[in-house]
Amino acid sequence: MKKSFFILTLFISTLSGCKKFLDVNTDPNNPVDVQESLILAPAELNISDNIFAGNAAIIIQNYLQAIAPNQENPGLWNYQLFNIDVDGDWSAVYVGGLNNLNILNIKATASGKSNYAAIAKILSAYVLGTATDIWGDIPYTEAFKGSANFTPVYDKQEDIYKSVQTLLAAALDDIAKGSTVVPGGDDYFYNGDMAKWKKLAYTLQARYYMHLTRAPGYTAAAQADNALQALNNGMLSNDDDLKFAYEGGAGNENPWNLTFGPVTTYVLNATFIEKLKATGDPRLPVLVKKADATGLYAGRVIGTPPAGALDSYSYPGNFIAAASAPNYIVTWSEALFLKAEATFIKSGAAAASPYYVQGIQSHFLKSGFDTASAAVRSYINSRSITNANAIQRIMEEKSIANFLNIENFTDWRRTGYPSIMKVLGALSEIPRRLLYPESELLGNAQSQQTAKITDRLWWDQ
Amino acid sequence: MKKKLLLRPMLLILLLIAGLANAQNIVVSGKVINDNGLPVPGASIRISNGKKGTAAGDDGTFSIQAGNKSTLVVSALGYATQEVTLNGTGVTITLLKSVKELSDVTVTALGVKRSKRNLTYSTQEVKGEVLANSKEPNLVNAMAGKVSGVQITSSSGTAGASSRIVIRGATSATGDNQALFVVDGVPINNDETSNIGGGAAGAGSNRVVDIDPAIIENITVLKGAAATALYGSSGAKGVVMITTKSGGTDKKPALSLSSDLSFEKPLLPERQTKYAQGIDGVFYDGENNKTSASWGPAMDTLKINGAAAPRYDPFKSFLRKGITSNSTVSVSGGGGNSGYYMSYSYFDQQGFIPKNDFKRHSIFAKYNTKIYKNLTSTFQLEYSNSNQTRLPEGASNGPLFVVLVQPISWNPLPALNPDGSQRLYRASRNAPLWAIDNISNASVVNRFIPILTVNYTPFSWLTITERGGADMYTEQDKYTESPSTAIGLPGQIRDQNINFRQFNNDLIVNAHKQFNKFDVNLLVGNNIYTNYSQNTNLRGLGLTIDDFNNVSGGQSVTASEAHYQQRKVGYYAQANIDYNRLLSLSLTGRYDGSSVLARDKNFYPYGSAALSFIFSELFASSLSDVMNFGKIRLSYSTVGNDGVGAYQLGTPYVLASRSTSTGGNFPYQGQPGFLLSSTLGNPTLQNERLSEYEAGLETRFLNSRFGFEASYFYRKSIDGIIPGVLISNATGYSGTTVNSASIENKGFEFLLNASVVKNNIFGWDLTFNFTKIRNKVLALYPGLTQLGRLIVGQPYNIFYGDRYERNSAGQLMIDATGAPIGAATQGIVGNANPDWLAGLNNSFHYKQFGLDFFFDMKKGGDVQNDIDAVADFYGTSKASENRAPFVVEGISVTDNKPNTVAINAQTYYRNTRKYESSIQDGTYIKLRTASLYYRLPPSLLAKTFVKSASISVTGRNLWIYSPHFTGADPEVSSYGAGNGVVGVYSFSTPTSRSINFSLKLGF
Repeated sequence: MKKSFFILTLFISTLSGCKKFLDVNTDPNNPVDVQESLILAPAELNISDNIFAGNAAIIIQNYLQAIAPNQENPGLWNYQLFNIDVDGDWSAVYVGGLNNLNILNIKATASGKSNYAAIAKILSAYVLGTATDIWGDIPYTEAFKGSANFTPVYDKQEDIYKSVQTLLAAALDDIAKGSTVVPGGDDYFYNGDMAKWKKLAYTLQARYYMHLTRAPGYTAAAQADNALQALNNGMLSNDDDLKFAYEGGAGNENPWNLTFGPVTTYVLNATFIEKLKATGDPRLPVLVKKADATGLYAGRVIGTPPAGALDSYSYPGNFIAAASAPNYIVTWSEALFLKAEATFIKSGAAAASPYYVQGIQSHFLKSGFDTASAAVRSYINSRSITNANAIQRIMEEKSIANFLNIENFTDWRRTGYPSIMKVLGALSEIPRRLLYPESELLGNAQSQQTAKITDRLWWDQ
Repeated sequence: MKKKLLLRPMLLILLLIAGLANAQNIVVSGKVINDNGLPVPGASIRISNGKKGTAAGDDGTFSIQAGNKSTLVVSALGYATQEVTLNGTGVTITLLKSVKELSDVTVTALGVKRSKRNLTYSTQEVKGEVLANSKEPNLVNAMAGKVSGVQITSSSGTAGASSRIVIRGATSATGDNQALFVVDGVPINNDETSNIGGGAAGAGSNRVVDIDPAIIENITVLKGAAATALYGSSGAKGVVMITTKSGGTDKKPALSLSSDLSFEKPLLPERQTKYAQGIDGVFYDGENNKTSASWGPAMDTLKINGAAAPRYDPFKSFLRKGITSNSTVSVSGGGGNSGYYMSYSYFDQQGFIPKNDFKRHSIFAKYNTKIYKNLTSTFQLEYSNSNQTRLPEGASNGPLFVVLVQPISWNPLPALNPDGSQRLYRASRNAPLWAIDNISNASVVNRFIPILTVNYTPFSWLTITERGGADMYTEQDKYTESPSTAIGLPGQIRDQNINFRQFNNDLIVNAHKQFNKFDVNLLVGNNIYTNYSQNTNLRGLGLTIDDFNNVSGGQSVTASEAHYQQRKVGYYAQANIDYNRLLSLSLTGRYDGSSVLARDKNFYPYGSAALSFIFSELFASSLSDVMNFGKIRLSYSTVGNDGVGAYQLGTPYVLASRSTSTGGNFPYQGQPGFLLSSTLGNPTLQNERLSEYEAGLETRFLNSRFGFEASYFYRKSIDGIIPGVLISNATGYSGTTVNSASIENKGFEFLLNASVVKNNIFGWDLTFNFTKIRNKVLALYPGLTQLGRLIVGQPYNIFYGDRYERNSAGQLMIDATGAPIGAATQGIVGNANPDWLAGLNNSFHYKQFGLDFFFDMKKGGDVQNDIDAVADFYGTSKASENRAPFVVEGISVTDNKPNTVAINAQTYYRNTRKYESSIQDGTYIKLRTASLYYRLPPSLLAKTFVKSASISVTGRNLWIYSPHFTGADPEVSSYGAGNGVVGVYSFSTPTSRSINFSLKLGF
């Protein structure tokens, strides 16, 4: 009897003690909270690595015939795209990108670190603008709510554009608060120089105004006016560029450097190289390497059988894709070409010409040229604009300055320049957008998801 | 103890009083012993025509009140029942071991031994020698095909590679679906390890590989939830109970030696050997012009410098001889109160892929002793040292990828150019011979499994068992990869240490009493389980010093640490009630707590109820002469499971990293960085649940010469936990953990045993098992119909992807050039689940000779053949040997009539193939093992000190018939034992055919 009583006591005592015994589910591996600076650094790297130079950017550079893989059809290069192919990009935008920037903004606003809040908003505007130019209607106002809303409805693209401008305006308000807390090395882009962030915000305002020159219900003139006004406070030199500097060592390579690797087989596209050759562009040797095997500037034509060795093709120059090359995400050159385009819309080619020339010069300067040299001057003279060819030449020059930038896809869709033909063995017309990701089709069914790659976005009607 | 001494006289007095009351009755005291003179504890003693009964104590003694000349019926598990007519008040009954009945004793949950006769659920036993005869170092592989309801898939032919074991179908969406392994009552870890994230691709080792099959007496597979309910959460996916060998008492030392030597040959897919490297029939020599393709000219007509072009066997310069040796020495014996068993074995496999070796030292010792007359204990310890080295596998960095599709015209030697760079016929891959010297992956595991069991029997009807066990291992992994310009990587060294330990303790109180015709067994117990693991990882990226195998030589060095801890507490009770050997009722209940669930939901109850009816007890003797045993059984059970790892409730910040091909972690360029976890935590996580109905029939005929068993089951998981289930990324997170999956499995299992011929000279035994399981994903998450290879309404693990355009009749649509058209959307293209599985074993013996052969069959179950998908493209597959233009069967889109336009073979194979074309029916029949042995006749050995000797020759995978599969062996899962990679035949080490020579000696 005593024995069973003993057992019963043991039983009861273990039962009461075990609630506490089980209390070991506190994660020792990951912090519950971190300060703003720890979020900002990886959020900036994510933008440079995965949004500016990620998978969607690579697909789009195939469409623009800037790059080509040494592969036969079919593939994404001849417009074979599946929803699942862009799952990672959507994740880079929403999970790695906007959600963390949103949290950064909330935290910084709560703690009064208004400069961090401003940066979070400007970068959100950039990411949101880039994403809507890829997909059109996308979630925003109902997004980032975690379990409170598992199926965020998509905002209309027009509303996304409004949100972009709202974010930029609010960021400028934040900067104006003049907080003394500024980021340091955690801000890879500007090292906490808020004056430069301010110029970036204005330049982005101009970029996104100009995207709507053909949008239903908007006029080119009004958009140009808005852009010009914003550019009054925009970037003023190559030093103002939003760029990510990579150190270049193992693990610190520029992502484009890795994209042009021996396994992906990406090389430069013949379309891009032939255009530089046709205009006698002095930047050819800076932007393009000669093929190792032949010593020639030779790009690859998509849709042809692979000729074999990668060393018979040209790779981008070190300026573009060395391991230590920076990613130029938003540049003074772009600001100048935006100003040239807006001025042309308002006042014609003659008035636009100085900004256009300055735009070309800014890029020559960055590429290591003396803009006063005869070669550069003669090239610029040969590329002068008239009312008839202004948009074409502005876009052609802008696309060289913006080489490997997704912005070129938007400019081609808006203006048709630089003109391209569809590739050999194309499975459709040249795509004008990407598909929605499989993860959205499965996890958040919305009516917009039937879009095909040849469908036009709202501003592209 | 004092109290106990007092109790005995009191009992006697009571019995005396009782005796006085009924003058005809006497008190009989006796002892039940076996033929070795050892007590038989727990033996049942009944009076033949009366209602009284008792059980022998731990020392075999009993007392019973009986009539003067009455007959006692004495029975015990594993012994032939004896009847003894009383003649006096003292009696010693010697029970003889019964061969037939012995096989009836089976180990059930928590190590409780029960008569199989009375079981209310399905179990199946495999003898240790059967496992040993399979000559597989991995216990999981050794079980393949032998147990109904169980599917085993080896990942590859890599020495030491993992294998997957799923019992009665997958029920968890993404969690572990594999069975629990239990050694002598203590669960052991069977994780797939020996992998370093970002290191060598390919399957790791499942940790049961550390267990030496030679120490196994037998295994019992508990299949359904009714059988495993007492194991609770961790047993919800079935349990493999391993019983290790023991010594005996009063037994002279017996020494046994065995030695095995085997030779392995890889089973390689067929390839074309007619065409040289090149494109469009034009020869590329690989030196001056490079291509990965073998669409060049015919070798027969190809001349190089005027001479016939030589052929080079791609495998010859790469593969080596596969040789395995396995030596075991064991000694067992015992004195009056104790017994021992000790064993050492050394397994050494040199894989046929260079640099792939698996070596294992195992030491096992077990010591059982009687401390006091009612107190016994067993202590055992297994130590193993497993050592594996291998090369990477897979399509990106695995040398086998290149070897399998290398042009026949290419001479792979020398491996290097004069300047020391890799010499290769193509771009984008490392040269295989370079990889042998420049890439390595090594893993060393040191593991201890100590178990202590103490049994205390204060009364003959009551046993208290305390069993504590641990499983502890350290694993040291190292991956080294030299810088390679061929694939654009800067070289890296990864060093990983895993420190794992788990503790398990059971305290069980077991009461066993007979009341008249009722035999009642009650059990209550408590279980405490904890596990902990620590992982530290170092990485040196960008190697700067040649031949220096240390992370400090990296340009950038990063480190990470992680710790995981999990605890469980369980209380359980079981009642088994047998009525007159006719009806058995079994009830179990368990109440579990788990640390990984939400704090207010971390305790959950569950249980089972089962009934069996031995209808043959009611047979007239004329009928029971034909059918000597017949039982039907029914059960229902519901089991709770925590089904998720530690720390899934919150949403922390995690160390940020780059997703580029070379990778890179924060701190990055001098800045630390954390981002919000991409997985949204679920703070309300509760247990998942598995319910199962089972019905079964067990019959034996002609004095058990033929046996037939059948089970039907229906099992369904509800509230299934899916960690990281996909959610709209616009929520800010790519996944979360939910409690909403439901998967059903239903199936039949049959088992047939027959001693077809049975006499002293010649015997033929036959065993056949058959399993048919249908499964279906019922729900994932509200609004979500697909998660990778899981689609609601479809079987578990379908193949989904890029496919062809078809018309409503399912015919291919063909374009104007004669090429099949690709569909715009992806879809379901195959199903990895087999229609059915079967195994057939035949054992013949004639005098001293024996012949065993075992066939294994799988009907259906698609396989994704990655090798031929690539080989078709490169023009090295057997199919690509036929290069005449041909007409693809289908409907032309130009005129809606059957296609008549021929397509060029190269265009077809290079430019029109889809993922769908890589899916093949994986049906196979294979002669898995065939074994011929000879036992030296005892007469020959009589004058020597050798007691027994035998030699045997065993062949593995001697014959494979797979009519729809173009690879060598469809039974492979190249990417390991995980759920999502089932049925993928890719660039992993092929399985092998082997011949094994074995010598066994007993002294």
